[in-house]
Amino acid sequence: MPSNSDSSSSSSSSTSSGEYQTPKRNSTSIDQSLDAIENQLASISMFQPDSLLESEPEPEPVPELEVSKEELVNGSVNVIEELPAKNEEGESLKASSSRVWTNASEEVEEMEAPPSPSSSGYDGGRGSSATSGIEDANDDDNDGEIVEVRSHGDSVGASDSQAPWTPGKRHGDEDDASISWRKRKKHFFILSHSGKPIYSRYGDEHKLAGFSATLQAIISFVENGGDRVKLVKAGKHQVVFLVKGPIYLVCISCTEEPYESLKCQLELLYGQMILILTKSVNRCFEKNPKFDMTPLLGGTDVVFSSLIHSFSWNPATFLHAYTCLPLAYPTRQAAGAILQDVADSGVLFAILMCRHKVISLVGAQKAALHPDDMLLLSNFVVSSESFRTSESFSPICLPRYNPMAFLYAYVHYFDLDTYLILLTTSSDAFYHLKDCRIRIENVLLKSNVLAEVQKSLLDGGMHVEDLSIESGSRSGSVSPHSSQSGLATESAERLRDTFSGVGGPAGLWHFIYRSIYLDQYVTSEFSSPINSLRQQKRLYRAYQKVYTSMHEKGIGPHKTQFRRDENYVLLCWVTQDFELYAAFDPLADKALAIKVCNRVCQWVKDVENEIFLLGASPFSWRLLSL
Amino acid sequence: MPSRRRTLLKVIILGDSGVGKTSLMNQYVNKKFSNQYKATIGADFLTKEVQFEDRLFTLQIWDTAGQERFQSLGVAFYRGADCCVLCYDVNVMKSFDNLNNWREEFLIQASPSDPENFPFVVLGNKIDVDGGNSRVVSEKKARAWCASKGNIPYFETSAKDGVNVEEAFQCIARNALKSGEEEEM
Repeated sequence: MPSNSDSSSSSSSSTSSGEYQTPKRNSTSIDQSLDAIENQLASISMFQPDSLLESEPEPEPVPELEVSKEELVNGSVNVIEELPAKNEEGESLKASSSRVWTNASEEVEEMEAPPSPSSSGYDGGRGSSATSGIEDANDDDNDGEIVEVRSHGDSVGASDSQAPWTPGKRHGDEDDASISWRKRKKHFFILSHSGKPIYSRYGDEHKLAGFSATLQAIISFVENGGDRVKLVKAGKHQVVFLVKGPIYLVCISCTEEPYESLKCQLELLYGQMILILTKSVNRCFEKNPKFDMTPLLGGTDVVFSSLIHSFSWNPATFLHAYTCLPLAYPTRQAAGAILQDVADSGVLFAILMCRHKVISLVGAQKAALHPDDMLLLSNFVVSSESFRTSESFSPICLPRYNPMAFLYAYVHYFDLDTYLILLTTSSDAFYHLKDCRIRIENVLLKSNVLAEVQKSLLDGGMHVEDLSIESGSRSGSVSPHSSQSGLATESAERLRDTFSGVGGPAGLWHFIYRSIYLDQYVTSEFSSPINSLRQQKRLYRAYQKVYTSMHEKGIGPHKTQFRRDENYVLLCWVTQDFELYAAFDPLADKALAIKVCNRVCQWVKDVENEIFLLGASPFSWRLLSL
Repeated sequence: MPSRRRTLLKVIILGDSGVGKTSLMNQYVNKKFSNQYKATIGADFLTKEVQFEDRLFTLQIWDTAGQERFQSLGVAFYRGADCCVLCYDVNVMKSFDNLNNWREEFLIQASPSDPENFPFVVLGNKIDVDGGNSRVVSEKKARAWCASKGNIPYFETSAKDGVNVEEAFQCIARNALKSGEEEEM
């Protein structure tokens, strides 16, 4: 095993190492707005009946975040109140977006300098500064698109952020001389250590050969000095480098995501490549540095672009955990039992999934299936159209299981959303796995699992509106969510009135709960006001940022964090057993928010049978079948 | 996915400073020439798509700086090259004498698997200067050196007038392609 390529993630003292800092908002107006917010909070808290704060019954099975005169008292408390600095400009969103428009149009003019058609744009007169062309980009929320290129006609960048994501490479005609290319908010590149392009998120790899060479030159130049480049900051842009033996990965982003998140995304991108090819490609480079990998990856563009897309919606990409489709306990047990049955017949892993959610999962060595591998595997399956049309048998590699060896995956879709993956080490197990699949399919149909799955897709999982603030009335089930509304108490209703019927109690908008032992997480369904994809993505980014800050090396890990900015109140709580990230209305009251978080944890505990895959071996079904 | 397979070829241009490496590249890629001398800092990169025998491939041209102080870039730049172009100025003897150093330096740094047969191409540039009257390296002498190094293809070029530039790069591409295919098998 080539060990040198493995150690590339180890840190070294380099020019600038992961120095992400929470961006400070305009500080001049902080005091004023702080007062304003405090006033608003004071007026809101008048609506809180005191009993709500103090009538919490003491014995609770889950740990509690304690409230004492609106102050957190336990553990290391980290309260960050980021202020809505733009508050005085009225609606901050509109203000900032219009500013973007002005910037953008200025920029277009600046960049009208004649680009030489086939050159990399960094020759002669331009000097060889690699970053000069990507100094600035617009700040629209949708990094897949650009808004300001009106000159290119309406077709470019005109697509609504609400439009569903279309798979495959977009803007393949662009290169680094294109203004539109330079304005993309988030680029990903994979290249070889000789500077040959392997993958680019946008644009044509071959046309980007010059740019790719520039990236290699930068990496190699620093390497030559016995150092390693990890991060370059250029204005709003971060250029993140990851060297994996002969494979170089680079992300250029102005999305303000933390360095750690971007690096982690590059790691996943590398993992996706390993999943397709195994790490033995390194040997090809050892034998022949000229080696061109692109033919080996032919047709897999869509797998990478789908993974990159998931960096902006799938929490699994930063939580390193997987999520389950909510199902009644017996239903999941029935599925697990038949999977266990085939696993005993020599199948390494049997995974039943619906979209990106797990229905059940069984393995000869279950513990060894890393959540990242599951993410990469399901991304590979879901993004490759050919799996949908027929049963397939494909070599794949699980990078966390064994990066050097191929496994063989039998993939079959039962319906549009639900698919089965059977993994084996044997390359001639197709017919055996096909038999296994038929057995599984029969059981799933007989036990009505597939119908239940479809029903769960429709109903969704946990809805914040269903969370009762009263500790007495427990939300006992995940769905249907309407059934819980009758339990709402008077005070809860009053609270809802305060927040004009939006979201859950105390202005709870959304939450993510991650169980540490189970390697699983659950999120609430998106509901008003987090309706649009744009809002969802913004919240996702906020979670990602706060997750990073909770896990920061050196000063962390934190236990709790209360962060208020112009978009949300984010409350994070990390214990030995779980992590909770909850988003509230930016005007939410701190004490109430804490209280609600306790309720959420209790709620999750109450329904854990339905939302998580619990480890116990399902013997019941097998006894029945005997 | 279009099955049309494209090949990318990495081409390194080496030679003393001022022999016209950047000009040759600019003439080839952009069909432009400037009399002004601008020293290359580190390296410049240009790409050119070329069609050859019904196949499309991309030349990734690494135009390096000739100055001594940039020679430390070494391995990083030379790694995985498909072809190396050695340039000299027919009006400057020293630039011709240095071809041997450039070639050896490249072979040491790039350490190709088959150094004897690694594809080089030699270009004698600036044949237009002073109507050829200031020339100090004869074609015969240059060809003799090329022959002694395993029959390196040789071209006399003028980046200014575009003489032989296209032909030279055609040859470069062909040789790079040949070596690439042999190694891939």
